[in-house]
Amino acid sequence: MKAAPTLSPAFLQPAGGKLPEPLLTLRQQRGKALVDMPLPTRKTENWKYSSRHLKLTEELANSLPSGRKAGPGLALDHPHILIHNGVVVPEASDFPELDGIEISSFADLDDDTAGQLAERLDNTLDNQAIQMARLNAARFEDGLYIRLKPGAVLEEPLYVIIETDAGASGSAYPRLYVDVGANSQMTLVEEYISSGDDAALVDSVTEFSLGEGANLTSIRLSLEGDSVQHIGATGARLLGHARLDSHTVGFGGPLRRHDLQVRLEQPGAECRLNGVAVSQGKQHYDNHTTIEHVAPHCNSEETYRNIAADESHIVFNGRIHIHEDAQKSAADMNNKNLLLTTGAEIDAKPELEIYADDVTCAHGATIGQLDDRSLFYLVSRGISRQHANTLLTMAFINELVEQIPVEAVRQTTQARLNQFIEQAFEEA
Amino acid sequence: MLSIRNLHAAVEGEEILKGINLDIQPGEVHAIMGPNGSGKSTLSQVLAGNETFEVTSGEVLLDGKNLLELETEERALAGIFLAFQYPVEIPGVSNLQFLRTAVNAHRAHQGKEELSAVDFMKLAKDITQRVDLDASFLKRGVNEGFSGGEKKRNEILQALLLEPRLAILDETDSGLDIDALKTVAQGVNELRSEDRAILMITHYQRLLDHIVPDKVHVLAGGRIVKSGDSELAKELEEHGYAGLGVSDDEEATAN
Ligand SMILES: Nc1ncnc2c1ncn2[C@@H]1O[C@H](COP(=O)(O)OP(=O)(O)O)[C@@H](O)[C@H]1O
Ligand SMILES: [Mg+2]
Repeated sequence: MKAAPTLSPAFLQPAGGKLPEPLLTLRQQRGKALVDMPLPTRKTENWKYSSRHLKLTEELANSLPSGRKAGPGLALDHPHILIHNGVVVPEASDFPELDGIEISSFADLDDDTAGQLAERLDNTLDNQAIQMARLNAARFEDGLYIRLKPGAVLEEPLYVIIETDAGASGSAYPRLYVDVGANSQMTLVEEYISSGDDAALVDSVTEFSLGEGANLTSIRLSLEGDSVQHIGATGARLLGHARLDSHTVGFGGPLRRHDLQVRLEQPGAECRLNGVAVSQGKQHYDNHTTIEHVAPHCNSEETYRNIAADESHIVFNGRIHIHEDAQKSAADMNNKNLLLTTGAEIDAKPELEIYADDVTCAHGATIGQLDDRSLFYLVSRGISRQHANTLLTMAFINELVEQIPVEAVRQTTQARLNQFIEQAFEEA
Repeated sequence: MLSIRNLHAAVEGEEILKGINLDIQPGEVHAIMGPNGSGKSTLSQVLAGNETFEVTSGEVLLDGKNLLELETEERALAGIFLAFQYPVEIPGVSNLQFLRTAVNAHRAHQGKEELSAVDFMKLAKDITQRVDLDASFLKRGVNEGFSGGEKKRNEILQALLLEPRLAILDETDSGLDIDALKTVAQGVNELRSEDRAILMITHYQRLLDHIVPDKVHVLAGGRIVKSGDSELAKELEEHGYAGLGVSDDEEATAN
């Protein structure tokens, strides 16, 4: 039998960056644990459809140089922070001076705070299921630590721009940790973008820790270019009566993978996860979500919609795990998929594991094409076939896009999706 | 204006229309009546260009143009409008967006400037009133969650907006209560004009109490088995299709 492929030692080189001692130590430990890490293959259940798109070639092993001073050129009139090739760039950021929130790069943390953070890093994630988050833990050179104090309410959304500058081949390991204090409230926008067109790998980790009654709206846009593989993990832990609203919108690439893991740890916690993924050409997108109903009386709602054009491929795997003690759980998962061509592929798999007996669970997944009757109705009114196709395709995801609660983001997203859809129906 | 010659059409290899002949002049209102399953909707769908139905022979001319050669959208732009027997619900596309796109497609085809959102809104609000729909229906998804009567009124609304040469109304009167029927009939009467023809397909006589057709045809078993003036509709009302030797839900025996 052929030996399972392992991570190239080139990826285990000492990482740079100016981290406080406790985080350096943690990173070193994580690095040691990675020696001979088996790479996901076709036989790895959670990478079944995507492993062949994962290309961890040696040219990607070097960390991309960081610390560019100019901003990404996005005319954002909002408080925003730039993470450039994994490193926070204060000069290109606009750290808002707001009551109740502390924002710091990992590099700027004092040893005590860094020590506390080091103990919590990766706590929200099921490391077994997230191979690549472990690589991030061995390689991150900086990170963004956001602490919202108990009771604080942030009215304006906070934007974090995570830019990968692929001016050369290499990789970046951005990391965010957000502590949402008890009864506090905020909206965070993560916008992943890239520049340059050399091959690059982004291996990102974002963690949310929500205290009792905390309320976090998380918007995640994956907009990188076609030379960038992005493997990202988001973990969230929710204490009693906390609420997470997650909106993810992603455009395909050579590989886009997002693992979203939510743990409802105390009664009354609830989450709503909305996701849209679209792909074209030979792109690949893979969303894996897990909702852990650990405590009783928690609610989860999940709606994901995917659109695959041309010869692209989208994977959706939605797991809901209701633990034995989680009586009176309510979980509702809905996944709809649209194939725009016969060459496109979508693999959708809801996974329910229920160990409590008094629960309300619903799930559904469908894969289909545009409805002929709807199309005929539109063209019978003189609307061109191309325009009708565009309207119907947009309609398929609009319901979710309209729920994005930040207008500027909603509009940009709508425009980008429209552009994508129009392109998909352009006459060859 | 419209001339149908020996039109045959089949679905899944089964012939449904077996030689339809029909001539309609501008300004005329024709009614087609007939038992269930006789092919009325098939005829209307074939005229609108639904590719589910295969035209196996025959010819259809609209203002001298070969209609069967045109794509559905081209037929619409040439002036064909079909009010569907079963209007389609399209969640996610707002009625307003749909109507505006359709109107602007027509305007672009006629070399006119597109209507701005504001101008279109004014027009749309006016016409929703004329068919007795609340303006809130513009914001909803196309036909989404509309009652049967609301869907039919939304069809008439579209006809009024698009001002077709030939409006084909496929059982726009069925499933309506008395008030809704009056509204729809009023809308149809508003549509009547010297250079527009209307082809009303109906299973019942009651719409014809409000709209007096110039001609009435009986379609049975895929053929027009009898034509006459509005008196024919009354005859049918009294004696039923059996009086013509045609039984409801059965193929024509008359010819
Ligand atoms: N899409 C279809 N597939 C198969 N058969 C059809 C289809 N549409 C209509 N038919 C058949 O064609 C015949 C005529 O139907 P239709 O035109 O709807 O009649 P009407 O409108 O007069 O009630 C019926 O026997 C019906 O079953
Ligand atoms: Mg019918």
